Amino acid sequence: VSSAAITSALIWLPIAAAIVVWVLPLSRYATGSLAVLVSLVEVGLWIEQAARFDFGRSGLQFAERANWFSDLHVSYHVGEYAFSLWLVGLTVAAMAACVSYGFWVGRERPRAYFGLMLFLTGSVVGVFVAQDLLLFYAFFEAMLIPLYVLIGVWGGPGRLGATLTFVLYTMAGSLLMLAAVIVYGLQVGTFDLVDSPTSISRWLFLGFMFAFVIKAPLFPFHGWLPDTYREAPPEVTAVLSGVIAKAGTYGMLRIAIAKFPDPTSYYRTTMLALAAAALVYGSLLAFRSRDFRGVVAYSSMAQSGLIALGLFSGTNLGFDGAVLQMVAHGLISVSLFLIAGTVERRTTSGELALLGGMAKGRPGLATLLMTTGIISLAVPGSASFAGEFLILAGSFQRAWWWAAIGAGAIVLAAMYMLRLISAVLHEARGSTVSDEAMDLRPGELALIVPLVGVLLALSFWPAGISHHSFAGDNPSAVVKGQFR
Amino acid sequence: MTGGAWLCLAAPLVGAAAITALGTSIPRRAAAWISTLSTFVALAGALWAFFSLRSQPGHRGELTTAWTWLQSGNFKVGLELLVDPLSTMMMLIVSGVGALIVLYSVGYMDGDDQERRYFAYMSLFVFSMLMLVEGGNLLLLLVGWGLVGLSSYLLIGFWHERPSAVQAAKKAFVMNAFGDATMAFAFFILIAHTHSLSFATDFHLHLSTTATSLVALGLLGGAAAKSAQIPLHTWLPDAMEGPTPVSALIHAATMVTAGVYLIARTHPLFEQARTVELLAAGSGALTLLVAGLVALVQTDIKRVIAYSTMSQIGYMFLGAGVGAYANGMFHLMTHAFFKALLFMGAGLVIHALGGEQDIRLMRGVGRLMPYTKWCFLAGALALVGVPPFSGFFSKDSIVAATVNLGWYGWVFWACGVAGALLTGVYTFRLWFLVFPGEPSPFVREHHHRHHGLEGPWTMLLPVGLLAVLATIGGWIQWAPRWHYLTSWLEPAARTLAAAEPTSSQEYWTSAATVLAGLVGIAIAWWVYGREALPVPEAPFWRRTLEHKLWFDELYDALFYAPSAALSNWLRRDIEEQVVLPTGPDLGETALEAGGVVRRLQTGLLRTYVFFLASGAAVIAVVFLIVK
Repeated sequence: VSSAAITSALIWLPIAAAIVVWVLPLSRYATGSLAVLVSLVEVGLWIEQAARFDFGRSGLQFAERANWFSDLHVSYHVGEYAFSLWLVGLTVAAMAACVSYGFWVGRERPRAYFGLMLFLTGSVVGVFVAQDLLLFYAFFEAMLIPLYVLIGVWGGPGRLGATLTFVLYTMAGSLLMLAAVIVYGLQVGTFDLVDSPTSISRWLFLGFMFAFVIKAPLFPFHGWLPDTYREAPPEVTAVLSGVIAKAGTYGMLRIAIAKFPDPTSYYRTTMLALAAAALVYGSLLAFRSRDFRGVVAYSSMAQSGLIALGLFSGTNLGFDGAVLQMVAHGLISVSLFLIAGTVERRTTSGELALLGGMAKGRPGLATLLMTTGIISLAVPGSASFAGEFLILAGSFQRAWWWAAIGAGAIVLAAMYMLRLISAVLHEARGSTVSDEAMDLRPGELALIVPLVGVLLALSFWPAGISHHSFAGDNPSAVVKGQFR
Repeated sequence: MTGGAWLCLAAPLVGAAAITALGTSIPRRAAAWISTLSTFVALAGALWAFFSLRSQPGHRGELTTAWTWLQSGNFKVGLELLVDPLSTMMMLIVSGVGALIVLYSVGYMDGDDQERRYFAYMSLFVFSMLMLVEGGNLLLLLVGWGLVGLSSYLLIGFWHERPSAVQAAKKAFVMNAFGDATMAFAFFILIAHTHSLSFATDFHLHLSTTATSLVALGLLGGAAAKSAQIPLHTWLPDAMEGPTPVSALIHAATMVTAGVYLIARTHPLFEQARTVELLAAGSGALTLLVAGLVALVQTDIKRVIAYSTMSQIGYMFLGAGVGAYANGMFHLMTHAFFKALLFMGAGLVIHALGGEQDIRLMRGVGRLMPYTKWCFLAGALALVGVPPFSGFFSKDSIVAATVNLGWYGWVFWACGVAGALLTGVYTFRLWFLVFPGEPSPFVREHHHRHHGLEGPWTMLLPVGLLAVLATIGGWIQWAPRWHYLTSWLEPAARTLAAAEPTSSQEYWTSAATVLAGLVGIAIAWWVYGREALPVPEAPFWRRTLEHKLWFDELYDALFYAPSAALSNWLRRDIEEQVVLPTGPDLGETALEAGGVVRRLQTGLLRTYVFFLASGAAVIAVVFLIVK
C-alpha cells in the first residue's frame, strides 16, 4: 500500500463499513463485531502510518490530491502534518474504545448505532487530514450529523432539549464558518489550504474562530456543553470532549492562526483572555458541579481554554505544549467519561451526593479512576503535566499574568479532581451504591486500560509528541511559514 | 557510580509496578516482602553510588542522562540523574531509613486487608523521593516533588472510609499543589531568561535582582509547603491520619525535609537573593517556636511528634537560610534517625494498646514495654539535644551558625535557644505522661502482647537499629573539632563564610542550648513527672494553642470560602441565568419564527439547499462589504 493511500483509507474505510452496516441485515453480534474490527483496523493503519512518518521533514506528508471543481480550485486534497498525525491517532484510539464500549453495553438498534459511530470516525479523521477548505467544511459538518442522531436517539431523558441546543449552537458556528470559507476561497482564488496565501481580514478570522470557540468550547460559548455532555450516551460524550472538541482547537491552529497571522496578533489579547476565562470559569464550575459528568465536562472546557492559551501565546513552548495537551487531554477525558459510564451503569446515577465508598472491594475501578484522575489534575511527571508546563511556560513568555492565572488553575484542578475522586470512591457508601455493584469487568478493563496505558507511556516520554509535532526546533517559525 | 543511582531509583518503581500488576494473584504478605526487598535493593544502589563517589578524587559528581524527557524548540530537559555528595547523602538517608520503616510496616500492617495497596503506595513513595533527590535538573526535581506529594496524599488517605483521613489527604495535596505552582512559576521565569532548567546554568545566571528574588521566592513557596513551615504548615498535623509508619517515613524522616534539600541544592540562587534566603531562616525560626508551643498542649501522641517535626524542620530552615547548608543537612540526617524512631516507638505503643493515641490514657505503659521505653528515651534525648545523643551535635551547630549575622542573627540565636527549652518541655511531657510510673487502668485493660514480645521482630528490629543510630549517628561531626560531613558536602553546598562561627562561639552556644534543653526537661518533670502538681490553667493561651493559632479558620475564611462562594455565584447567577438559557431561548425564537416561515417548508430538498446557500451567500456578501 502506498503511504498516501493510507490517509484516504483512514477516512473511507469506516464510512464504507458504515454503509455496509446500514445496508446489510446483519445480526446485532455481527454488526458490533464488524464495527469493533474496523475501528481496530483503523488503529493498525494509523500505527503503520506513524511508523512511516518522517518527523524530520517539514511539509505535508501522505498527501493525496484530485481535482474536484478545477475552475474554483477546489480539490480532494488530504494529507498529514506531524501534529495532525497525533490527532488522527487520538481519534482512532478513542473511537476504538468508544465503539467497543457501545458493543459492550449492547446499544439498541445496533445497525443504526454502529453505522453512525463508524461514519463519525471517518468524518472526524477527515477533519484532521483535509487540506482543502471546502473539504474541511464538509467533514466538519459531516461529523455533526451522526452526533445529532446519536444524542437524540440514544441519549438520556433530556436528550431532545440537549440535541436542540447542540444543533442551534453548532449550526450558528458552521454557518459563519461556511461564509468565511467561501469569501476566503474567492478572495485568494483557491480553497487549497496548502497553496493559499495568508489573509489580513479580521472578519474572516472571527468567522472561523466563532465556529472553533463553540466547538472547543470556550467561555461564554459553551451553553450547549453541560446538557449535551450529561444527556448523550457516555461513549458519545467521551468522543465529544476527547476528540470533537479537539477539532475546534485544531482549527485554531491549522486555519485561524496559520492563515490569519495579522488578525491573530491583533486579537491575541482578546483570545488569550477568552482562553484564560474558560480555564478559570471551567475550573470553578467543575469544583461545584453536582454530578460526575458535570465535573469532567467543565474540566474539559477548562482544558480547552488551556490549549487555546498555548496556541494563542504564539511561542514555541505554547505550540508544542498545546499539541501534547490535546492528545493527553483527549485520552484523559475519553477514559474519564467511559469510567463515568461504568459507574452510572452500576448505580443508575451520576449524582455525587448519591455516590461514595466505591473503592472498597472494587480495586479495578478504584485504581483506574484514581490513576486517570491524578493524571488529569496534571500531577508532576504525567503527560498532562508536561503539556500544561510547556503551555504555561510559553504563555509566560507572552506575559507573566497568563501563566499566573494558569498556575492558579492548577490548584483549582487539584481541588475539583480530588473532590470527584473522593465523592465516588471514598468515605461512606453512597445510597445508590449497592454491595452487588461489581468491580469493572474484564471487558470494561480491556477498553479503558489501553487508553490509560498510552497515557502512562506518554508520561515516560512526553518529548515523543512535544518534539515531534512540528519539524525542526522552531514551531513558531513553522506555523508562521504555514507548515510548508 | 551512575549504575548505583539508576538501580536505587528503579528498584522501588519496579516494586510498586510488580505489586500493582500482580494484584490478588500473590498473597498479601508477598506484597509486603516485595516492597521491603525493593527498598533494600535501593539502599544497596545508594551504597554503591556513595562508595564509588567517595573513591573518586575530589568527589565532584557526575550527571547521567537516559533520554530526553521533554523537549520543545531549544528548551530541553533530559531524564538525568545527578550523583554528587548532596544527592548520595540524601539517597542513603531515604533508602536507609526507608528500608527500616518499610520493614517495620511488614509487622505494623499485618492483617490489614488493604496491605497490597499500602505497600504499592510505599514503594511509589520511595521511588518518588529518590526521584526528587537524584533528579539532575529542576524539572525532574519538581517531578519528584509532585510525586511525593501524590504518594503522601494516597497514604494519608489510606484508610479512605474515614472522612477525616480523606479530608486530611485532600488538604495536604491542595496545599502542596499551591507550593508546586509557585515553584513552577519560578521555573517559568528561569525558562524565559535562560531557556534551561539545568542545575549548572541556573546557578550562574545574570538576572535582574527582582527576577532572581522572584525565582527564589517561588522556590521558597514550594519548600515551605512541602516542609510545613509557616504559613503553609497546617496540613502536617492533619496528615497524622495516615498509618504510623507513613508518618515516620514521609512526615518525619524524608518528604517533609525536602524543602531543606531544595534550599541546599539551589543555594547559589538563594545567595543571589539574600533577603529571600533570610526570609527562609526567619520562617524557620518562627515555625520552630510556634510549633514548639503548640506541641505543649496536644494530647494525641502522633500530633505531639508531628508538631515537634515542624519545629525541628524550622531549625533546618534556619540553618540552611543563614547559609550553613551542611549543618541543616546534618540535622536533617540525625532528625531522620530520631524522629523515625519516635514515631515507630509511638507506633509500637499504639499497636499494643489496640489503636489508642490519647496520651492522657497511656500512663505507665513503659512498665509493660521496657524495650520500647528505652528506645523511645534514646530518641527523646536525641531530640532535646542532650550530649552525646545525635541531636546535640547537629542542632547546636545550627544555632551557633547564626551568631555572626548582626542583630537578626542574635534574634535567630535566641529563637534557637528558646526552641531548645520548648523541645525539652514538650518531649518530656510526652515521656512522663506515657512511660514511667504505674500502668493506668486503661493500659492494664487494653495492653496486649504479640506472641510474648512487645511487637513482631520486623517492628522491634528497625526500632532498635534506629535507637543506635539516634544515639551515635551524630558523632560523625562535632563542629568545633571535626567536620567530616561539612567537607563531604563542600563541593555541592559550601557553607557561607558568615555562617562559620569560631570554636568558642560553638562552645558557649552549645552550653546555652544544652542548658535550655535540660531546664525544659526539668520543667516537664516538675509539672508532669510528679503526678502531684496540677497542670497550670491558662484558658486563653491554652485555647489559642489548641486551635493552632486559628490558622485553619483563617485559611478557610480567606481562600476556601471565597472560592466556593465564587463558584456558587458563577453557577447560580451566570451559568444558570445567562449561559444555559441562551440555547433554548434561541430555540424558542427559532420555533416562533418557524410558524411564520412554515410555508417555506416545502419538503423539497432543493428549496432547503437554496435557502442554505442563499443564507450563506448573504453572510458572505456582508463579509465582503465590511472586510
